[in-house]
Amino acid sequence: MPPEVSSERALPRTGPADRETSLILAASRGDEAALREIYRTYREPVWRVIVSLVGDVPQAQDILQNVFFKAFRGLSGFRFRSALFTWMYRIACNECRNHLRRRGPATVPLETILGSRYEADSAVPGGGSSGPADTLRAAVRDLPFKLREVVVLKYQEDLSYEEMSRVLGCPPGTVASRLNRALLELELRLRSRGGAR
Amino acid sequence: MTFSCFFARRRFVPYLEGQVPSGPVARLERHLERCARCSELFARVKAGHEAGRAFGRLAPVPPGRFSDFEEVRSPDRRPWARLAAFAAPALVAAAACIVVLFAVTGRHQAVGTGGAAIGPAEITPSGAFMKLAIRDFGIDSRRQVVTEGYVQDVYYDEQEQTLHIKLGERSGGTGPFVICEVRDAGRLTIPGTGSRVRVYGRARFDAQPGRGWHEVNPVMEIAVLNR
Repeated sequence: MPPEVSSERALPRTGPADRETSLILAASRGDEAALREIYRTYREPVWRVIVSLVGDVPQAQDILQNVFFKAFRGLSGFRFRSALFTWMYRIACNECRNHLRRRGPATVPLETILGSRYEADSAVPGGGSSGPADTLRAAVRDLPFKLREVVVLKYQEDLSYEEMSRVLGCPPGTVASRLNRALLELELRLRSRGGAR
Repeated sequence: MTFSCFFARRRFVPYLEGQVPSGPVARLERHLERCARCSELFARVKAGHEAGRAFGRLAPVPPGRFSDFEEVRSPDRRPWARLAAFAAPALVAAAACIVVLFAVTGRHQAVGTGGAAIGPAEITPSGAFMKLAIRDFGIDSRRQVVTEGYVQDVYYDEQEQTLHIKLGERSGGTGPFVICEVRDAGRLTIPGTGSRVRVYGRARFDAQPGRGWHEVNPVMEIAVLNR
């Protein structure tokens, strides 16, 4: 069975806690090297979450900048109640939610429209950037935001229930029931699109 | 849905991942044999789970190019962001100015013996408020309460974008406390650390992981009793 998350996509859970603590403390004092290291370490995982949640590259790039801008600004208020990566993910999810709320339902990412055309043209199994992969991405992207969050955090970022509950700010039991709902919705949407599994 | 359905459904995904111990696994499997509805839902969750795993294996959409660190770091290139950066502190500063202004102009007439005390009748918001000591806050009562304490900390919560005031029974950082969540900081007087205040609002309990504290949320009014 192929691994769900390849090694280069594994979470930067940053090693020893005291190393992370000293990095955060240095960054919160404005230490450029520490801030730079945080950016280098977290930009890829944060990017993955954002682009999967908003589904639009230029918008995701803007949101990524906002996330780090806010994170750097808020580091002095970091209370060490969670790991840095869950805190970063939480800011990213909040920023995506606010962005989508501001943007409203009027616009649809171009990829969503193009994706449905690609599906008909291609039947290469196994993912990649071919039809089934686009169908799958589109099905996840069509989920309501709260359900999309849990699918992205669980399957793309490989977070545990406890970690997801910290990111989403709700108890693990709520995460579990939300995940069930998300999977039922995902199954329904894929079935109505005719597969892609 | 029965009680056993509820617990069975919560275990669908951990079961698919082999994370359920053997005892509960046997119970779950027996339940799935007996309950047609759960069995049907399980088949759908399983299909969704497989789709989720396939989604997790997809290559992430590349960003093209990540912004340079300097672009993220430097607010000079992002004037709107710089504006946002100063908005919250400016709001607090403006509120503090209003407090001083009120104190100087005597908007609130002092009552009692303390010169800086503010008459509660003048600032009491409409509605009934139950007097409640900080140590007596119950679990999620959601009642309108009025409580008094010392301001131990004031900070802006980036995630929730609200101003938080940590109110303790003692002026030091120990002992019972509540977190007072101010959603509209511009409307209220924001007290300084160490001042004694009376806070009006709704009592709640924040059960989020890493929190687990009592709150006054939202804060409806704050009266500074002693600076």
